Parts: sequence; C-alpha cells; structure tokens
Amino acid sequence: MRKQTIGNIGYQVIMILIVILIMFPFFWLLISSLKFEKDIISFPPKIFSNQYTFENYIHVWSTIPLLDYIRNTVIFAGGVVITSVFFDSLAGYAFARMNFKGRTLLFYMILLTMMIPFQVFMIPLFIEVNKLSMLDTYWGLIIPRMTSPFGIFLMRSFFISLPRDLEEAARVDGLNEFKIFLKIMLPLCKPAMLTLGIFTLMNNWNDLLYPLLLTSTAEMRTLPAGLALLAGQNISFYGPVMAGSVISLLPLLIIYIFAQKYFVQGMAMSGLKE
Amino acid sequence: MITKTREYSKYSSDLQVTPIKRIGQYWNRPNHSAYLFLLPTLIILVGFVFIPLIGTFALGFFNINIFFTNTTFVGLKNFIHFFSDERAINSLVHTLYFTILETPIQVFIGLVFAVILAKNTTFNKFCRSIFFIPVVCSLTSIGIIWSMLLDPNIGSVPYFISKLDLPIPKFFHDPALAMPTVAVLTVWKNFGVTMMILLAGIQGISLSLYESAKMDGATKIQQFFYITIPQLTPSLGFCVLTNFIGSMQVFDQVYVTTGGGPQFKTETAVQYIYQRGFSPPFELGYSSAVSTILFIIIAVLAVSINFYINRKESQML
Repeated sequence: MRKQTIGNIGYQVIMILIVILIMFPFFWLLISSLKFEKDIISFPPKIFSNQYTFENYIHVWSTIPLLDYIRNTVIFAGGVVITSVFFDSLAGYAFARMNFKGRTLLFYMILLTMMIPFQVFMIPLFIEVNKLSMLDTYWGLIIPRMTSPFGIFLMRSFFISLPRDLEEAARVDGLNEFKIFLKIMLPLCKPAMLTLGIFTLMNNWNDLLYPLLLTSTAEMRTLPAGLALLAGQNISFYGPVMAGSVISLLPLLIIYIFAQKYFVQGMAMSGLKE
Repeated sequence: MITKTREYSKYSSDLQVTPIKRIGQYWNRPNHSAYLFLLPTLIILVGFVFIPLIGTFALGFFNINIFFTNTTFVGLKNFIHFFSDERAINSLVHTLYFTILETPIQVFIGLVFAVILAKNTTFNKFCRSIFFIPVVCSLTSIGIIWSMLLDPNIGSVPYFISKLDLPIPKFFHDPALAMPTVAVLTVWKNFGVTMMILLAGIQGISLSLYESAKMDGATKIQQFFYITIPQLTPSLGFCVLTNFIGSMQVFDQVYVTTGGGPQFKTETAVQYIYQRGFSPPFELGYSSAVSTILFIIIAVLAVSINFYINRKESQML
C-alpha cells in the first residue's frame, strides 16, 4: 500500500515536470512581452525582471501593423469558417442521405483530394487567383477555401447516423428538400458543425504558407504571415513581436479553454495536416 | 389530418401546373436536388483543387515566370535539370531527413503518454489538456518563441546549459544540429495530437482481453506487447501515415526559425519550391516540376507505408 503511494507521487511529480516543460515557453513569452527591450536582450538572460511595463503592448500597434493583421485574420478565417461549414454540410448531407447517379464515384474523388497536399498545387493556384485579379483581396483568400474534402467527409459521417424517417415525415408535410435540410437536419448537427468550425478556424487562423502566397502587401497580411516576415527580418524589436505573438495566440487559447472537446475531436478525426 | 392528406396529393401528382412549378418539382426530387446541394462544393473543388493540380503537372513542361513573359514549351528540360540541381536534391534529402527524425519520435512519445494517461482521472485529464495546448498554437508563434529561447546570445536555454559547465550548443545556427532542433520543436508542438488519437484507440480496447490475460498471469509489460500494441495497430498506422504526409510538407517552422540556413542545411522541398517560384528568378515552371517530383515521392512512399501497415494489420488480427 505504502509502496503504491510513493510510486503514485513519483508519477505525479514527473508529469508535473513535463507539464512545466510544455507550459514554460508560453509563460516565458508572456513575461518577456512585459519587459523592457533592454531586459529582453540582456545577458545573462533572466526569466524574471525587476521592472515590468505595458510599453510593448502600447507600441506594438505603431511599430507593426498589428491591427491590419488582426482584421485580415478575422475576416479570412471567419469567412472561411462560415462558408466552408455551410457548403460542407450541404455536400455531406447529399452524400449521406440522397441517392443519385455517380454518388460513390464522386465521393471517392473527394476522398482522394483529401490526400493531396496543398503545397503540391500552390503555384497554379497562385497563377489562377492572380488571373482572376483576386490576389491580395479577401475573396482571393476565402474562395479557394470555401469547401474542404475533410469537412464533407466529417459532415457526411454525422448525417448518416440520423434516423431515416426524419425527412420522410417532413416531405409528407410538404417541405421542399432545401428546407428539410435547413430546418430539420442542420439543427441536429450542431455538434458536428462546431467540431468542423473550430477545426477550420484553427487551421486558417494559424496557416502561414497559404496567406503568404496569396497576399503581397503589408496591409493584407494575416497574423502568422506578418509575424513570420518580421521574425525573418533579423528583428531589432523583440518586444513588439512578442506582444504580437501573445495577441495572436490568445483568441484560440481562450476558445480552447471552453471548447476543448471540439478541438480534440476535429484533430483526432483528421490526423495531422501540418 | 385532412389538410395533410390534401397537401400530400398535391405534392405527388400535380402535372397540370405552370412550367416554372414543374422545374421546381423536378429539382425537388431527392435524386435531382442532390446535384444542387453539391454544386457549390464541386465548383470550388474543380476550380481550386483539380484544375491547379493538373496545372502543376502541365506547368512543369513550360518555361514560365511570374510575369508571364517568354512562356515557352520546353518538354522534359525542367525535369532533366532537376537531377543536376544540387540544391533541389538536397532540399528533398533534408525533407526526408526531417521526416525520419520527426515521425518515429512523435509516434513514440504520443504512444508513451497515451498509455500513461489512459485512465480518466482528473489529474490525467488535466495533463492531457495541457499537452494539447501547443497543438492549438500557430507554428509561427512557437517558432518565434523557441528561436529566442535557444538563441546563443540571449536565450535562456543555452545560458542554463553553460551554467552546467557544458559546451553551449548553437541549435538553429549549427549546421549539424539545426534540423534535429527543428524536428524536436515540431514533436513538442504536435505530439498531443498523436497522443489523443492513440488514447481513443487504447480506450476502445475491450477490457475483457486484459482480464483474461491477467488470469493467465501475464505481466503489465506482456499485456502491453501482446494486447495493446496489436489492438492499436490501425491507430498507429493512421498516425504514422498522416504524420509522414505532414512531415514531407514541412515549411512553417523552418521558415520562421532558420529560414533554410545555416548553409541551406535545413532548406526543405516546399521551401525550395516557394523560394524558386516567388523570389528571383521567379521560375514557376521549374518550381512546378519540382512540385511534381515531390508529389510522386510522397505518393509512392505513402502507398508503400499504407501497404505495409495493412499487411501488418492482417498478420496481427
């Protein structure tokens, strides 16, 4: 009995150490973003400083176009989430509950595109968006992402589990197919839509290469693209970049605290995309 | 009740209505309206996945730059040039090196924590939630954090190592150490996903298997190798495969931390494609040829891995 308790305490101590290993970089980022520039780059480095300041959070808005980055990220990621969840639900519903010619073939084709990395076709995509003169616009960022094979796959698997007689009853009541989908089926799939929505939000909020490719001016950069470019320029202002990183991480972390289940579900179903 | 029957007859039999209504009725049949439901998705997928994908294969045969001046058909020239392009081949080698480092470590660590944290106690749930936090964060921010923490001049980690009287590693600035550092950073960010997938797999294993093994006197370690691992093969295979495909596309973390340096030692395939196409000399045609080659390598290796996993699965079950 006693041996077991000692083992248990040892186990908990080790796990807590690993938890600290995971949390330390974030903690360090937060503390450092509240330091003066001279304390950030001082040697020997200190984790805690004698004095703290909100200076970085005040100056970050003027040293880097952070407000533009935030606005662009919200519009891009938000636009993609809304359109993609809706279109994926429509398609997933059709695959799950309607019989039509070519259903299996089409579904396999969509599954196949799930395996193809975006990086492979990014150059023609760039040319296409450029020819449509949508480069550096919100539409150019949102439209190619308005649907995702994974989303269709996820929504289909949820719709398929709903009872069969549901739409028959609605048809008898004279509802048309689109209304059956919108008024009866979609409300039942809120958990699935939330899972997909959060998954899509996370991927697009954090994406680097895609917005880097399709935007060229500083005013259109998203948070990751803007911060990555600043970090790559041999930065001479660590403080604002750190404050910017904190601001870019916060929204998802806050949502994570309240909706952890949906984050895990989405990632577990898709595996890794990065 | 009466109104319902009336409406039903209207729905099923009206043929004498106006053409517009007839079109409405035609498209309202489930087997027809399905196409309307799929229309937006198909337009986007064809327009922004299928056509660009064909475009990649086609552009590889052209000499085309970002300004679309002097576009000419050059046949296999780009592909032949690839084999004498040392930087391109090296970028593929680096990508493979990263994948070989990253994938096994991540799957192993994910498995270890999935086993340790399998029981649903409050403490374990807390640990799992924490381990998943880096997954939610962008590689850009994480790259920024770690490149500062590991900076040889101002970073806390090298300073801590120097306090232990050990030689200070230069991490991202050391040609031999840069790629392993990027790989470890990636594992640190992503092992939470593998852990969660394998955890779901472990919790899905029937308890009766363990009980009967206990009756036969099997130790915990025997249980792990003879029950957990074989039962987990499908989940493990899924993790290896998705991790492999993800690792072959590595870009973000390298772009932020090392930018491909030192001495191009961490330049990956996607990064080379991006550099070559979107900075001078802006050769989109040649970049597409390299993309095609990368795609073929990923496809061949992914299919082989999948084949191997399927064989293992059928052997084990």
